[in-house]
Amino acid sequence: MELTIALALNGIVWGLIIALIALGLSIIFGLLDIINIAHGDFFMVGTVLAWFVAETTGNYWLAFLIVPIIGFALGALIEYTVIQPIKNAAALSIVATFGLAIILQESVRATFGATPERMLPPIHDTIPMFGIEYEVYRLFAAAASIAAIGLFFLFLHRSKLGTWMRAVRFDPETATAMGIPARRIYLMTFAIGFAMASLGGVVAAPITTVYFEAGVDILPFCFMAVIIGGLGNLGGTVAAAVLLAFFEGVITSFTDPTFARIGSLCLMSLVLMIRPHGIFAGATR
Amino acid sequence: MKKDKASNKTLQTAGRTRRSFLQTALAGGAVATTAYLGLTRDLFAKEGGPIVIGHHCELTGGFSSWGYWHDKCAKKAVEVINEGGGIAGRKVELATEDTESNPATGARKLRALIQRRKASFVVGSVHSGIMLASIPVATELKTPYFSAGEATEATGSKGTRYSFRTGTDTYALAAAGAPWAYENLGKNWTMIFPDYAWGHSHHQEHRKIIEQMGGKVNDPIAVPLGTKDLVPYLAKIPEETEVLFSVFFGALSVAFYTQSKSMKLDEKMKMYSVSGTIEAIDPRAIDGAAEGVFFLENFPRPLEYKDDEYHRKFVEMMEIDPVHAKEEGSSRVMAKSHAWQSWENFFALKQAIEKSGWNTDKDTPMVIEALEGLEMENSLAHPQGSKLLRAEDHSGMIDCYISQVVDSKFEMKKHIPRADMMAMLPPRYDFTKQPL
Repeated sequence: MELTIALALNGIVWGLIIALIALGLSIIFGLLDIINIAHGDFFMVGTVLAWFVAETTGNYWLAFLIVPIIGFALGALIEYTVIQPIKNAAALSIVATFGLAIILQESVRATFGATPERMLPPIHDTIPMFGIEYEVYRLFAAAASIAAIGLFFLFLHRSKLGTWMRAVRFDPETATAMGIPARRIYLMTFAIGFAMASLGGVVAAPITTVYFEAGVDILPFCFMAVIIGGLGNLGGTVAAAVLLAFFEGVITSFTDPTFARIGSLCLMSLVLMIRPHGIFAGATR
Repeated sequence: MKKDKASNKTLQTAGRTRRSFLQTALAGGAVATTAYLGLTRDLFAKEGGPIVIGHHCELTGGFSSWGYWHDKCAKKAVEVINEGGGIAGRKVELATEDTESNPATGARKLRALIQRRKASFVVGSVHSGIMLASIPVATELKTPYFSAGEATEATGSKGTRYSFRTGTDTYALAAAGAPWAYENLGKNWTMIFPDYAWGHSHHQEHRKIIEQMGGKVNDPIAVPLGTKDLVPYLAKIPEETEVLFSVFFGALSVAFYTQSKSMKLDEKMKMYSVSGTIEAIDPRAIDGAAEGVFFLENFPRPLEYKDDEYHRKFVEMMEIDPVHAKEEGSSRVMAKSHAWQSWENFFALKQAIEKSGWNTDKDTPMVIEALEGLEMENSLAHPQGSKLLRAEDHSGMIDCYISQVVDSKFEMKKHIPRADMMAMLPPRYDFTKQPL
């Protein structure tokens, strides 16, 4: 029983980190109708930049500030050069972002190298938790993810820019007619998506590995969260990410870890069959 | 109609009718197709021309940190061979194809190496999945293929007369290291590994030996590939475990050492692994996460544990430092326990080709017979040490080393001579009985 509780809690912690990354994917899809295959690599770029900042300055906390800003700038650049030219051909987004993913991976491999690196957590302590030694940094990572997600929702609902983003998402033509600069909102949304994924990278880097293919494996989990939560449903994405990781953690305590992963995929299939617009489809788009 | 007549006239004035034109085109197409399929390879093989040897290598993708070294070894080996007069007086031409660390791509690229680039022999992949996908292709195209991956099936249940391996497989690694680890590290074992052929193969071979010796092996923990958070798997390791045997590679290795260290597992049990887990990784770069771990190596990382002129020259040619095997002017660490095969296999081929009198591809069966039971002496051609390519199962019988990471440096604890390993390793397959 102790093991089940420990793994369930760890699932929630990991789910919150995934939620932060998947939220970026969800806002990009929700506003731009872009199925962003490169989103996992935005996360990977975040881990590599965090490692670089920590290595060169010796200060991990600086990465929290710098990396999302670089991510935002890179996101704006990519939206302008890659996404904007295919704006009226959404189907091309899969091909374009797939190509972008390869470019990002190979650029990192060519510059950073192919050898995986470890990044030390800034908090080294562990605490005994239901029979296992649990890293305090993971609890911090969960708290940082909650804070970032909370701030994003606050921005979306309480700021002028956030209101414009929701307006463009709801009805782009009317929003444009009302004088909202839709073009700039698209650019900013994509940039925010990149910034959130790279912030996820900063948070996760001391837990996982810094590596040019780190984004490949995280992408399916993010897509599962977005699909189960309801395409473009931001709150649903967060809830689904946490639920999925919690579910996998609990199942893993009883059975083979591979079955836990199969269980997640079955759950996704079930949701697609019963509620094709996702569990939390009420507020979609 | 008028137009048809005009076009017929055009063909006839060139001395051809439409029918003869179509016949010629069809015949040409048939010849081109059979040539492409490799059916006429012997017809085009040039006697006395360069010998094309293929290198099937992971230049990109998950294994690229190893692939870099395999590529470097292959290029340098060919350079040395050509400077020394080539093979049987013929220049060696190296044809490299990138497998992208992907089995499907690997199998396709192997066909390209053999059929399009006309490789007569192939020094193959270190990726077990690619190697297993490639052996049927090499066998179909009757081309000797040297595997460098560790899944035992390549020289076992899925091996053929055309598949060879000068390095170790999971069968050999278990025979070499498990008895020592059982005697010195502990008798209650838990094994954690990635959920694919290589990991399961290690588990089966080690389990057999530990149980034969009277030890207890707990339920295995197979981690799905691509897992980022290992806590759910590490938390399942039983308390009574004395030896945690892990088999991972690349990013998953770093994640494993990092997360097991943070859960203080290294304080509760001994950690034992194979060289693949720490290959191309500098223990200094992972901030002590591998400290205290025991590894079974094929080739000791520091020069001092096999300090002879051949090893020294090899280290110099690879441009690596003699302690950490780190490349001069870069942060790359040599994948030393595996990449030597991409050096030595070229020299093994040279020895077999010259011994057999191979001239064109139709003589390949003679090379295979020469490779079966080939003895290789400790030399610059074989800096890893003397070895035997056993005739029955086409497996390399080599010396192995057990090392421990102490102060981020490999310290040798035990040298296992190949004779000791062979005593534990009777051949389970006999490929010499297969027709050529």
